[in-house]
Amino acid sequence: MPQVTGNATPLVKMENIVMKFGRVVALDNVDFDVRPQEIMALMGDNGAGKSTLIKILTGIYAPTSGQIRFEGEVVQISNPRRARALGIETVYQDLALVNLMSIGRNFFLGREPICQVGPLPCLNMSCIDRDTRRSLADIGIAVRSANDKVGTLSGGERQMLALSRVLIVHPRLVLLDEPSLGLSPLVVDHIFDKILDMNGQGVSFLLVEQNARKGLSASHRGYVLELGQNRMSGPGRALLDDPRLQKLYLGG
Amino acid sequence: MSVSKSATLEPRQIKRRSEFLSSPVFSPLVTQVIIWIIFWIFVPNFGSVRTVSGIVGAASINAVIVIGVTMLMISGEFDISVGAILGMSAFVFADILVNGGSPVLAIVVTLLVAGSMGAINGLLTAYTAIPSFIVTLGTRSIYRGLIWVVSGGTMIQVTDRLPIQDILNGRLDIVNNLFTQANFTTAAVWAIALGIIFQLILTRTKFGNHVFAVGGNPGAALSQGVNNKRVKITCFIITGLLCGLAGMLTFSQFSTAQVVTGANVELKVIAAAVIGGTLLTGGFGSIVGGLLGILLIALLRTGTILLGLPSDNFEAIVGVTIVGAALLNDWIRDRLI
Repeated sequence: MPQVTGNATPLVKMENIVMKFGRVVALDNVDFDVRPQEIMALMGDNGAGKSTLIKILTGIYAPTSGQIRFEGEVVQISNPRRARALGIETVYQDLALVNLMSIGRNFFLGREPICQVGPLPCLNMSCIDRDTRRSLADIGIAVRSANDKVGTLSGGERQMLALSRVLIVHPRLVLLDEPSLGLSPLVVDHIFDKILDMNGQGVSFLLVEQNARKGLSASHRGYVLELGQNRMSGPGRALLDDPRLQKLYLGG
Repeated sequence: MSVSKSATLEPRQIKRRSEFLSSPVFSPLVTQVIIWIIFWIFVPNFGSVRTVSGIVGAASINAVIVIGVTMLMISGEFDISVGAILGMSAFVFADILVNGGSPVLAIVVTLLVAGSMGAINGLLTAYTAIPSFIVTLGTRSIYRGLIWVVSGGTMIQVTDRLPIQDILNGRLDIVNNLFTQANFTTAAVWAIALGIIFQLILTRTKFGNHVFAVGGNPGAALSQGVNNKRVKITCFIITGLLCGLAGMLTFSQFSTAQVVTGANVELKVIAAAVIGGTLLTGGFGSIVGGLLGILLIALLRTGTILLGLPSDNFEAIVGVTIVGAALLNDWIRDRLI
């Protein structure tokens, strides 16, 4: 696993983030950072604020107060397009796939390749088909055509599709919300192999993972949220062995 | 830190269905062919060019509206004010023409008015939490009331046909001269041409992909960087503009514009979209299917007349067809997707 230096400017830093929904405080003065080429695990029980934190980073929510720095500069992540422009990509828990649409159209949703046909920008269908099939073949899924509906894929294949479509754009930071949920151990191993592989090529990851053992053992550092506040943080391996984590999160 | 070296996932071949069979057009096409065959066998004089051209003519004006409504439904929204927009457009168009305005001015102003009405529907839907069905239920009445205000309750009628009427909805003699007793109209040309153009926009452009995404899974679309609001507002404006054209075609055919022009068109066009395979819940459908749907409704209308059935039965027959077609489309789609 690549070394992560502690003194480098963090890739993304959240400072004093407060998130309120009406009177409910979802995040309470959270300070959080992810370093370049780091895999960070974000842990916490249900309702701890993990999804909220992800949605702030990905531009779906604006924090009630506090600020976010990307490579040292203060940024406003006002919508998902802005997040992607910064190089922040997300694989959501529900995968954000449109079931009624084909694999290829899903793969390129939001950044469709265009070719000019006279005055009109048209979808480059052959490019969509070719690149989708190639990316899927890279992760071990062979499809005859990218026109097959995404609903024909199995759960693991859909997860791999959602993951590979963010990796193809060479992001800086990838947020993964429960990547192993509902998947067989073999597929989970495959996914984490892919994560490590991309990490080796310079991509940082923020991993929200219910499977604490898997998540922490794959990460450089871990960060535990409880009721919107930071409870513990530290190197992944150390957290895994920490008895407080055992009690807090792993249940005994 | 170590992670166990996992075995490579076995590449899995996914069984491929024929692309045509799983496209939205397949099932409405099958339904259409079956019903044409049934009518051809049982209804006297059905196969004549006169009958067929009559059916196409009856369908053409509503077909233009169906194009917009289908696209809107695929994006997950409804517009039941389309009849009112048609009525206002017919009136504005007629009013300018009878007061000596040039056809170009009449067309431009009508489209501006119709497009604005669509834009209002779109903005209200996108920027408030009110569902589009409710928004357009409201604007349906508001726009109809506006026609009252603008017209003062009067009707416009033209006795001498103007040239622009023949361009928009006159006899299509190029085709008519090829067959005896043919009665094809230029409106059919507009409907078919626009149908093809918008079907291509829907299936072959980035915007079209976004329309399907916004209807199929709005959360997914948003998170992938699609501007959901902009897509929906655009679809509403397109629908408005197409209603504007439909209003002009209506006046061109009947040389009349009155307050009630276009009333009750809305349910017919939604029914046509559903018969044509478009899902009410959004994310799936085709414009060609919608055109087939409106053709089917015109077909049923003509068929009931030719069969000598009481015209009251027409409504019931259309109702049965809607439910039957929706069930058939679902059944075929489940077999194939």
